[in-house]
Amino acid sequence: MGWNRSAVAPWLATAARLLVGGVFLVAGLLKIPDPAAAVRAVRAYRLLPEALVAPVAFGLPIVEIAVGLALIVGVFVRTAAIASAVLLVVYLVGVGSAWARGLAIDCGCFGGGGAIAKADTAYPTEVLRDSALLLVALALARWPRSRLALGGRPLPDEEFARAR
Amino acid sequence: MPDNAKRRAARTRIEEKRAAEAAARARAQRRQRTLIGAIIAAVVVVAAVVVAIVVQNSRTATASDAAVPANTVDSGQVIVVGQTSAPVTIDLYEDFQCPVCQKFESTTGSTLASLVSAGTVQLHYHGMAFLDTSANDKYSTRALNAAAAVVNAAGPDAYQKFHDLLYANQPAEGGSGLTDDQLISYAQQAGASGTAVEKAVRDLTYGDWVKQVTDQASKDGVTGTPTVKVDGKTLESTQLTPAGVTAAVQAAQG
Repeated sequence: MGWNRSAVAPWLATAARLLVGGVFLVAGLLKIPDPAAAVRAVRAYRLLPEALVAPVAFGLPIVEIAVGLALIVGVFVRTAAIASAVLLVVYLVGVGSAWARGLAIDCGCFGGGGAIAKADTAYPTEVLRDSALLLVALALARWPRSRLALGGRPLPDEEFARAR
Repeated sequence: MPDNAKRRAARTRIEEKRAAEAAARARAQRRQRTLIGAIIAAVVVVAAVVVAIVVQNSRTATASDAAVPANTVDSGQVIVVGQTSAPVTIDLYEDFQCPVCQKFESTTGSTLASLVSAGTVQLHYHGMAFLDTSANDKYSTRALNAAAAVVNAAGPDAYQKFHDLLYANQPAEGGSGLTDDQLISYAQQAGASGTAVEKAVRDLTYGDWVKQVTDQASKDGVTGTPTVKVDGKTLESTQLTPAGVTAAVQAAQG
């Protein structure tokens, strides 16, 4: 028997798309209802000048939603995977630098953030999660062809079906 | 070689050439479709970002003529309790819904009160409201708004009493929060009564002020509550005890 690699790989890519896309879509959507909290979350990192805090806090969730949607439906998969990897690197730098500087902040990854009621930070979990997602996103950028995708070049055995 | 075979070979060559051309055309078409799709997608995303920035800006905007409570300092941001001659200043950043603040107030509130009455400490209260939920009907905001109504009507000492009452009767986090009627009744107990106070509580008269002070706290670098600063130095969470605060105050006095 044995696994047929060329048959399994596109399904793995589909799973990767849904995982990374789902996380980005949810993360983006959760930041929309409370824009003031989003501003505080971005400001809490103390990395951006005040003039950039609000545009980033308001614009970034839209980019996350766009990347998430593209991955989930399967259009521009490689571009979206690269974009998600870039964003994850930015988040890792942000969280890592907050950790290194000893700031006590919530990452605000899924809405909220900034001010936390308790001084309980979760940097190791956040770094681990983002690193794992980064690996998946990079693998997806390298092998973007997947099943159940709306766009992109069809797989060899799909070519015939689509041509008709 | 017979003519037939030659003809067949030629036909095959032509067919192969045609197929290759058709494939190249299809590739070019696909590339063009992808390019157009990419341009449209990019334009849509950029437009959505711009719209989001505009909409969210207007949602977070506060009126420039927002009502500011009287009997406050620092352009209305801070409520000061205690004598001006007190040698040590303690800045307190608290949310009325924050359970850790409640714990701090129940253990250390009386220590602060005696430091104030001894003339050693002047308290600077900075409100924050970031624990609003739909379950508690925006209790953080309603509580701080009510506190603003109290200080506006009856001054800092009434604010202190109202503040203590709200922590002594803090609703559970995740619960439904105190009602406006309850807030009005605590305001009366603290010494702020009358229709003006009631109206301010019910109408969220100081709602924009609540947003502004919460934003200011974030700009001050406050990322959690309670944040306690003794002469500008932020205490660690382990110092948020009667002994910790007393020691920090003594150290600040030199």
